Amino acid sequence: MQPFTYVRASNVGDAVKALSRGAKLLAGGTTLYDLMKLRIERPERIIDINHLGELKHFDTSGERELVFGALARMSEVAADAGLVRDYPAISESLWRAASQQLRNMASLGGNLLQRTRCPYFRGGEPYACNKRDPGSGCAAAEGLDRGQALLGASPSCSAVYPGDFAAALVAFDAEIDVVGPGGERVLPFEELHREPADTPQKETTLEPGEMIVRIRIPVTPLGRASTFLKVRDRESYAFALASAAVALEMDGDVVRDARVAVGGLATRPWRARAAERLLIGRRFDESAARAAGEAALDGAIPGRSNAFRIELGIRTVTDALMTARQRA
Amino acid sequence: MNATGIGAAVRRKEDQRFITGKGQYTDDVNRAGQAYAAFVRSPHAHAEIRGIDTSAALAMPGVIAVLTGADLAADKIGGLICGWMIHSKDGSPMKAGAHPALAQGKVRYVGDHVAVVIAETALQARDAAEAVSVDYNVLPAVVDPAKVKGATAVHDVAPDNTVFSWQLGDKAGTDAAFASAAHVTRLDFINNRLVPNAIEPRAAVGDYDAGTDSFTLYTTSQNPHVARLVLSAFIGIAPENKLRVIAPDVGGGFGSKIFIYAEETVCVWAAKRVGRPVKWTADRTEAFLADAHGRDHVTRAELALDAKGKMLGLRVHTIANLGAYLSTFSSSVPTYLYAPLLSGQYDIPAIYAEVDGVYTNTAPVDAYRGAGRPEATFVVERLVEVAAREIGSDPVAFRKKNFVSKFPHQTPVIMNYDVGNYPAAMDKALELADYKGFARRKRESAKAGKLRGLGFSAYIEACGIAPSQAVGSLGAGVGLWESAEVRVNPTGSVEVLTGSHSHGQGHETTFAQLVSDRLGIGIDQVSVVHGDTDKVQFGMGTYGSRSGAVGMSAIVKALDKVIAKGRKVAAYVLEAAESDIEFKDGRFTVAGTDKGLAFGEVALQAYIAHKFSGQELEPGLKEGAFYDPTNFTFPAGVHICELEIDPDTGVARIDRWTAVDDFGTVINPMIVEGQVHGGIAQGVGQALLEGAHYDDEGQLVTASFMDYAMPRAGDLPSYTVGMTVTPCPSNPLGIKGCGEAGAIAAPPAVINAITDALGHEHVAMPATSQEIWRALQRMPTQMAAE
Repeated sequence: MQPFTYVRASNVGDAVKALSRGAKLLAGGTTLYDLMKLRIERPERIIDINHLGELKHFDTSGERELVFGALARMSEVAADAGLVRDYPAISESLWRAASQQLRNMASLGGNLLQRTRCPYFRGGEPYACNKRDPGSGCAAAEGLDRGQALLGASPSCSAVYPGDFAAALVAFDAEIDVVGPGGERVLPFEELHREPADTPQKETTLEPGEMIVRIRIPVTPLGRASTFLKVRDRESYAFALASAAVALEMDGDVVRDARVAVGGLATRPWRARAAERLLIGRRFDESAARAAGEAALDGAIPGRSNAFRIELGIRTVTDALMTARQRA
Repeated sequence: MNATGIGAAVRRKEDQRFITGKGQYTDDVNRAGQAYAAFVRSPHAHAEIRGIDTSAALAMPGVIAVLTGADLAADKIGGLICGWMIHSKDGSPMKAGAHPALAQGKVRYVGDHVAVVIAETALQARDAAEAVSVDYNVLPAVVDPAKVKGATAVHDVAPDNTVFSWQLGDKAGTDAAFASAAHVTRLDFINNRLVPNAIEPRAAVGDYDAGTDSFTLYTTSQNPHVARLVLSAFIGIAPENKLRVIAPDVGGGFGSKIFIYAEETVCVWAAKRVGRPVKWTADRTEAFLADAHGRDHVTRAELALDAKGKMLGLRVHTIANLGAYLSTFSSSVPTYLYAPLLSGQYDIPAIYAEVDGVYTNTAPVDAYRGAGRPEATFVVERLVEVAAREIGSDPVAFRKKNFVSKFPHQTPVIMNYDVGNYPAAMDKALELADYKGFARRKRESAKAGKLRGLGFSAYIEACGIAPSQAVGSLGAGVGLWESAEVRVNPTGSVEVLTGSHSHGQGHETTFAQLVSDRLGIGIDQVSVVHGDTDKVQFGMGTYGSRSGAVGMSAIVKALDKVIAKGRKVAAYVLEAAESDIEFKDGRFTVAGTDKGLAFGEVALQAYIAHKFSGQELEPGLKEGAFYDPTNFTFPAGVHICELEIDPDTGVARIDRWTAVDDFGTVINPMIVEGQVHGGIAQGVGQALLEGAHYDDEGQLVTASFMDYAMPRAGDLPSYTVGMTVTPCPSNPLGIKGCGEAGAIAAPPAVINAITDALGHEHVAMPATSQEIWRALQRMPTQMAAE
């Protein structure tokens, strides 16, 4: 790890000031330290926000919305009884991520901003990577692409956005509160992450100096009949080959409302509205679930060795919807 | 039974230190004025070095020196060696290419050592290493061990990339057995390449004392004396008496820390070069790239049966990938540690094995937990299972029909099995596994849409490689005995100095238990000293499950001498004849009387020497011994794996694991069970998850825990572990060794269970969910029928 200057923020204003001068924000450290050890991130200044109590609080009992401070730890939120009961997809998306030790440290805000696990991005030299070194090329284009994105990729980057929690947030129309040098603003969560296009180094729409302080999810009856299904090479501590966050609100056998998002397949959190439209107002059965799965993967472009994840993604959505149906 | 003696499940003494972060590992060693090394490693699998420009690196902050292969040559430092000579069928010696500690003219695998930067801090060294500019002329790389012929030569001495073409057994006799066979079972498979992944990466601190012109190397070694011998006699760092090697606490080895590597050599050499202690600690990527890997065999195997299902012959051809250089014991692993085990637990009249050791542009391959024996067991137990299925025999009945039943048993491939009871282990395993209930469990799985399978592995291994005379005749460059010294202090406490080395095995506990048992003192009064060439005179280290069978036997021999001397002392003090002194439960007594002395009292008397003449009996109580066994030991047993496959996903979930092992006498059943658990985990890792993979250009694409899947708790069931005991006749304790059994037994048990569930044999290791899912797609008729 490179030497760096460590500063502890005493309030959000402090943190924003440091952030606008190029410091890196330190929350749980579970992504940042990794990348520093790999020498992908080489910050000269680190601003530690772990002592900002105002960001740690979360409340799932509100009548209009669930509110999560950006510093709330994944493990604490995942275990929240109200969330487990009323929004299983959110709880499941948190506890299926990483390992218990990491979840104990990792913050919600940091989780949303975690960077891709693309091996060529993290491998450093000698691999070309437009995200790490803009304009250098993309080693994955000619390399091993089993884990590369099928949705939202561009010629310059096919790195998967790896987060699980984000899939649940995008399904539930979450919003985030952002504080920057110009004050506070509200951003629909779906607008936080960008597709790579020609500038894969720009991963979010946050302006320089902006930090996430809060995540808010509108209260919805869809939460109860929801689930997050994660398919991966190993049972624990692995990233998704395909995942789905889904929710159903039923009127007898007919779907009144539905949410479908997929993870592990796309370059950003991926809401599948076409799949939702197929379900809403129709009678629910396995073939309807399968059709929704196919719609969710519509437009997927396979590479040389990741095509199996299209079918896997379809089945993941299908299975998740069947689980959600049982909970409705 | 003594509460801390042989057979007691004593908690490990060393664990308090390890689990509270108080262990002292090589990276915890810091010497005054210490500098840090970073290695410039080849990004290419195969290239000529046209030039190395170190000027930019030398100009960087904190840089003390940048050293290359030319500097090594100028100091007349020799290359790394392979210590086991193998001769080809035609009698020619193996073709060992030069292995300089820093490349000279050529690099041969990704991660090969090109230069070293020594700087004030580890970070400065690493930054400067990136600034060393190497002009490479990239050459074509050969990666696939089955396609080395005709490829660009890795070493000029082996133009066809073949190190040796070795054979064992009777070719004509075996061919005749096949000619008369009623049935022949054939299998082709790859024994997948593995990365050892000890939790502590390799590290070294080299120190040079100009006043005495002597060196000290602190290093992560399983055998510090062998390291000293090789660094001194072959590499030429310093005479043995001027070189001290210390292996302090070591966090796991699994074989990978037996070998004498480039980095450790460079650190100790560079310490004199730059006049500063030099430290290097590998990061995990370096461990993946440059630790010796394991396994990597391409094999065709055939088993011949007569019409009644009796085995007639076994024929095996294996291509063993040895990597880009011959690591320290690499040549012995696919030859003498492999083919002599091909008889398994079976009475096979004729066996013939051919092994081609080949060079590729990959990291060197050497011993990894089991070393040759897992590969042999995989050959035998896959063949046996498939043969039983092909002839429509029950796999248990087929095995029992062919088990060796009379001992000693001379196999056609060197080994003389001394003792065992194979049907007993099988019967116990069947009972513990509830084999009778399997059919019912399979039906229940089928109802839930799952495929259930059961696989056996009746393994045998050879441990405690010995005697020295025999291994010498097979090409070993060293003897494989062990040494021990027992130092009794005047107060009766004891230090045991052993040439064995503990890097997770629990020697501080088990060795103390032996002393406790023999001398009748508590284990708290016993300290075990190992891992320092200045303290322990010589030793061969720990690998091949040898520390119990060989290391502890040396301690027994030294303890016998201590007791004999104690008897003499007691005779003087008790004014009795030596022949009347008995030693039991920690007391020397005069037979038939109540006169006696505790062990500690005798120790004190030995040192104060008031009661006897120093001319008649030497004062003091300290004895040493060297012990050379009379034979290998042959641990054996039966493992049964029962698993369930989800046909939609290809995920195999191990439901039950039963292990019944015969390790001979067990010193500490808790530690032994722990060894079994860990071994099975590694074997299951090989079978289901782990695989080191190089792409066609020779880049290691599985060079991190992101893409190299280690087994985790969730991948493993709770094990049912049982024992049978036939004490080993070739050492005084009856120990056979237990360190590798799990890793040896597990892979074929898993694959036999998967193929049982699938109904066909075409699944490769690692049998990931993807591999199994694909295997399921290869059997449309079977699927349709269900």
